[in-house]
Formats: sequence, C-alpha cells, structure tokens
Amino acid sequence: MAIQGIDFANLSLKDALDLAILVEDEAQERYEEFATQMDQHQTPHAAQFFRYMVKNEAKHGQELQARRVQRFGDAPRSVTRAMIFDIEAPDYDAARAFMSPRKAMEAALASEVKAHAFFVSALPALKDSEVRALFEELRDEEVEHQEMVQLELAKLPPDSGLSDEDFVDEPAAQ
Amino acid sequence: MSATCDYQAKDYKSDLKPIWCPGCGDFSVVQGIYRALAAIGRPPHEIAFVSGIGCSSRIPGYTTAYGFNSVHGRSLPIAQGIKLANPDLLVLAAGGDGDGFSIGGGHIAHLIRRNMDITYIVMDNQIYGLTKGQLSPTSQKGRVTCTSRYGSMEEPVNPLLYVLAYGAGFVAQASPTDLVGMAATIEEAIRYPGFAFVNVQSPCVTYGEEAQQIKGLKAISESLQSLGHNPADRLAAMDLAQQYGQKMHLGVFYRNPEPPPTYGDLVKERQTLLSKDALPKERILDLFIKK
Ligand SMILES: Cc1ncc(C[n+]2csc(CCOP(=O)(O)OP(=O)(O)O)c2C)c(N)n1
Ligand code: SF4
Ligand SMILES: [Mg+2]
Repeated sequence: MAIQGIDFANLSLKDALDLAILVEDEAQERYEEFATQMDQHQTPHAAQFFRYMVKNEAKHGQELQARRVQRFGDAPRSVTRAMIFDIEAPDYDAARAFMSPRKAMEAALASEVKAHAFFVSALPALKDSEVRALFEELRDEEVEHQEMVQLELAKLPPDSGLSDEDFVDEPAAQ
Repeated sequence: MSATCDYQAKDYKSDLKPIWCPGCGDFSVVQGIYRALAAIGRPPHEIAFVSGIGCSSRIPGYTTAYGFNSVHGRSLPIAQGIKLANPDLLVLAAGGDGDGFSIGGGHIAHLIRRNMDITYIVMDNQIYGLTKGQLSPTSQKGRVTCTSRYGSMEEPVNPLLYVLAYGAGFVAQASPTDLVGMAATIEEAIRYPGFAFVNVQSPCVTYGEEAQQIKGLKAISESLQSLGHNPADRLAAMDLAQQYGQKMHLGVFYRNPEPPPTYGDLVKERQTLLSKDALPKERILDLFIKK
C-alpha cells in the first residue's frame, strides 16, 4: 500500500472523491487481472469469485462517480492513478495458480482490511469536515465489505487440504 | 526525437495475457514499466523493447512497444544494434538473472564501455524460473535446487557491484515491495543519457526461496535515500552494493553527475567529421574506380 504526493491536510472534497474512485478502479482492475490469471491457469472457481469482486468494486466506483458528478460536474481531476498503489487492490503476490475459492476469498478479505487501515490512518490528518465525513463513511463501508466476504467464506465447504506445492511440476529440460 | 505526449500507463499495456504464474513478481515489474513510460510520454511506436529468453523475458510482449523476445542471453547485442541503426528510438532491454549474468554475462561489460543509451532491467529472482528452478548465477551459496541437491558450492554474482565495477553511469535497484519507487527508478534510468542498469528483485513464487518472497524482501529492504546516500559517490555506492544478498537497498546507487558522451554521440560526431570530404551518394562508386 503506498500513496504519493497527496496532501491529506488540504485535501478537497472533489479530490477526496476522485481518490476514492481511483482506489475502486485500481481494485476492480486488479481483480480483473486476477480473474484472467486464474483463467490462464485453469482455476475457474477462484476466477469466478474474482469476477464477483470486479462487479462489487465497479458498483462502488459508479456510486462514487455519480456523487462526484452531482457535486462537481466534470471539473478536471487533479489526483492521478500514479499517486496510489495497492490501497484496496489485493497485492500482486496474493494470487496463486490453482488457488482454492477459500484462498481467493482470503486474499479479498485481506485487501478489505488493508483498505480499512488506509482510511483509518488518513483520518487524523484531514482538516475539511466534509472530507472527514466521506473518509469515515468509506472506512465503515470497508467493514461492511469484510462482512460480505466473510459471508461468502462461511458458505464454503472445507478446503481439500491441497496446497500450491502439490501442483509444482518436476523440472524438465527446455 | 519526437515530442512527448500525454500518455497513460494503460496505453503501454498490450492485449496479450501474461502467462506468468499468478503472484510472480514480474507482474509488478511490467506495471512499473507502464508507469515509467507514461511519465516519459514517448509514443509506444518509438520504443523498442528487447529481451532474451526466460519467464521475465516475456515482458516486451505485454507492452505496446515494438518487442523482440530474442535468444537466451542475447538481448544486449540486439538492443545495441537497434539503437545504432535508429538512434531516435527509446531502447529498453530486459531479462532474467540467468539471461543477463550467466549466458549473457559477457555482453554487459561491452555495453557499459560503449556507454550506449540503453536501459537494462534485470528481473533478479535468483533462479532459472522458466526451466523450472535450477541454480542461477545470483543464487545464494548453499541453495538447494534440482541441480544442486546438496546445496550450491558457488558464491553468487553480485549484479550491482558487477556493473558498478565496469563503470556504468546509472545503477539502481527496485522491487515490487515498492511499486511507486520502482516506477520512479525506472523512469530515472530511462532519462539518464547513457547506459542505465536497474536490478529488480522480483520474486519467483513457484521456485524461489521463502526469504526472497515479498515478505522476506520487505524485511531486508532499506531505501538508499533514507540512508542519506549520495548517488554521485561511486565508491560509497560500491560499498553499499557489497551488501547485496543481505540487504535490499532500493533506489539509485550511482548516477554519474557528469555523464560522458554516449556511443551514439560519438558516432554522430565521427560521421560529421568524415562526411565533410565525402563524395555525394550518387558518386559513391567513384571510390572503386582507379584514377
Ligand atoms: C542457448 C540456450 N541455452 C539454454 C536455454 C534454456 N533456458 C531457457 S530460459 C533459461 C534460464 C532462465 O532463467 P532467467 O534468465 O533467470 O529467467 P527467469 O525465467 O528466471 O525469469 C535457460 C537456461 C535456452 N533457451 N537457450
Ligand atoms: S516460474 Fe517463477 S519466474 Fe517464472 S512465471 Fe512462475 S513465478 Fe514467475
Ligand atoms: Mg531468473
């Protein structure tokens, strides 16, 4: 998780909304990438779960976008994707070939925990009351997302007990 | 050279789906490259991206630059040929630790002494990933692999010290533990006028050691800037580079404060000099006609 060039003390509501949208965009893209990786590696159940997360992140992003447009129209953005990294997106190394749906959900859960920590850590620096209220709302939403993933986890049968190691091939000449 | 434009990271991403193992560090490296290229702003068709053979060497295909996934260990001679033939191109070379420091190890010295304006990114995972986990030149001594059942008996190559010793003008290290830093480092390497080397510690999640995964790397990572390192000080850089394998220093080890002319500059100079008394093109055959 990294943030660069954002002055939280002077963050405007427009920039805060844009930042939140970018965070959702990044997460959506990462889940999309993970789903594709799972397709490439014949791991359909994890792919299916990651696509479910794509939809969720897209929905949150659209809701935020609608609020942004309503309040600020198409005023230009001053925050960019280059300023954020891995806020709500699962870390690249969270994916594994042949990961079980449980492992996929655990990766998503860890990302929601990470996003929650981001909003909590940013709060003390915020000065604008509307920005503060937005960040508190986003922080609380991350708890709801965690509960949503936990619900999905609870529906799962127990794992087979196989690990990634069970799928590593023996060396072969190339 | 063309004017730079407003490009975004996604403009450098191709439609080809990476077949790296999910979790592979190289996924972050390609993201770092997209971001660095967007910051530079050269259109994709003005970029040539050459690699050797290995998992990491697949990287040009995942970008919209002109790519050449060439022969094991031979990315640098090809990159040099491209740069000489078309000096206006932004030329990137990339590959693995095996590709760069085993079979291709001999090429680096010559590229450095020529100081061609090429950026070379090595994805150092201390293993031969593509061929399924054999010892690589940067594997730690004692490392057990399928080709070293009782542990490696060889000292690893130190890529940082290697290129510093040969006199590279720009030497840096990056890692997926800090993508923002990696993008900035690659951008700086590309902007350096001359040969630039970036060693990226990019974990192999399938055959790599536990200590070389993200968690292990984070535990030994230290930013050179936070240490107060002066990147103009080559000897200090060499001192720090000696800790390769124990510490993972991130950022710029060395940037020559007075970059010497590149090979391309010298070639241009020579061409200007020699073309003063040269015959016009249409009379070139006169050279072969005895007077
Ligand atoms: C001339 C030649 N020798 C050997 C090989 C077999 N080979 C392919 S990739 C590779 C090493 C890959 O390791 P590295 O360069 O570190 O890349 P990685 O896969 O780890 O990214 C080897 C030995 C080859 N393809 N061609
Ligand atoms: S074998 Fe290792 S280096 Fe190759 S794609 Fe898989 S994780 Fe990456
Ligand atoms: Mg390797």
